[in-house]
Amino acid sequence: MEIDRIDGRTPNQLRPLACSQNILNRAHGSASWSQGETKVLAAVYGPKAGTKKNENPEKACIEVIWKQKTGQIGKLEKEYEMILKRTLQSICILTINPNTTTSVIVQVVNDDGALLPCAINASCAALVDAGIALKHLAVAVCCCLAETGYVILDPTKLEEQVKGEPMEHGIITSVTHGAMPVDDYLHCLERGRSASEKMSAFLRRSLQPKLPSDLSKAA
Amino acid sequence: MENKSLSFVDQLAVSGDVVLNLSTMANQTIKLGGGLRQDCDAISVMKAGKLRFSKPNKYWVESSQKRYVPHAEDSVLGIVVDTKTDNFLIDIKGPALAFLPVLAFEGGTRRNIPKFEAGTLLYARVVKANPGMNPELSCTDASGKAAEYGPLKDGYSFECTTGLSRMLLSSLTCPVLDALGKKLSFEIAVGLNGRVWVNGASPSTVIIVANAIMNSESLSGVQQRIMVEKLLQKIQ
Repeated sequence: MEIDRIDGRTPNQLRPLACSQNILNRAHGSASWSQGETKVLAAVYGPKAGTKKNENPEKACIEVIWKQKTGQIGKLEKEYEMILKRTLQSICILTINPNTTTSVIVQVVNDDGALLPCAINASCAALVDAGIALKHLAVAVCCCLAETGYVILDPTKLEEQVKGEPMEHGIITSVTHGAMPVDDYLHCLERGRSASEKMSAFLRRSLQPKLPSDLSKAA
Repeated sequence: MENKSLSFVDQLAVSGDVVLNLSTMANQTIKLGGGLRQDCDAISVMKAGKLRFSKPNKYWVESSQKRYVPHAEDSVLGIVVDTKTDNFLIDIKGPALAFLPVLAFEGGTRRNIPKFEAGTLLYARVVKANPGMNPELSCTDASGKAAEYGPLKDGYSFECTTGLSRMLLSSLTCPVLDALGKKLSFEIAVGLNGRVWVNGASPSTVIIVANAIMNSESLSGVQQRIMVEKLLQKIQ
């Protein structure tokens, strides 16, 4: 039951991934993550003293600002901010620096499908670059349910619109748009999990810190 | 069990990696440094970096960031933000502002409290750095003498990563400072919080030293010496 995807990928194939860290001069941590044509830039500032008014001062607070490429800020951007905030709150260790705020600013450079997973991956890489204490890393993958009931991974924008019902999945967060039968949802989860392993391995490799070679060895 | 932990030492560890399993090591006391935390029986990594081990029993994660995590007995360069009755509020690039008691100077009494404006650069020592509290600084060493701590006048200060400042302060002579010191004369103060202060006779000396240090971040010892030679050749 092979499906022809527009760009010639197999249903389980992800687009080429690229990640670079420490690209912004002034941000305390920054990363850019691209999956095919979709590219997102994330910058982390903090931890800085003080929390917002409604936040618990016994925990660190994470603030997410989503900046899209063009247009006014609307409900969709606020929803992305909320999802990203909840996801990042579950991976950061919030009890280490109470009464501080860490700001994550996400800038969409190009949107070609799978935008939210790309943003989650970029934010996680930026948090690692900034040295924020994390319980574990997070990767995100987008699964799309085609009309024929077949699951494809990492859809482009064209595929998202035509086939409808994109769904991101992380072990932490799962966001679904549209309706689908339960079996298909579990099917998507399985595919997503195996793809997450590949992305995890990629994230680890790209997090190699650029350490200067040991002075003791050089001398 | 010893073999398992050895395989992680000096390797890159990423947040969430379990590097030690305490259930296999009974009756041993292990000291955990920065970047590690204990989750019941598993020691897992919080910050990405190289796992290091020093005998007899200390493990920590070495990483280089733009922000600083305060530890006691570190020498840091702080900038005065505000003055209160009992403390100066100092910014040390950490999660919270640090307090410097107004009496924490050699021969400090209520009658001769120093007057620092906002923006003054100070070289101070971290006395206490407890989690959840503002760190406390002092401008004297443990015995109460001034020992070069205090405000730094003139010169030029710039920021770097914590890894670079540790390299500049390493016990082996740092190659870049060594090579610069042979040709130029300058004064330097390095804070473990990622701030460096340089003072020299002429502005060109100060600029050369500052640029050489900033360029030496990812270079090996030999590369640093070559870089410094090239820089010095350009001005002569």
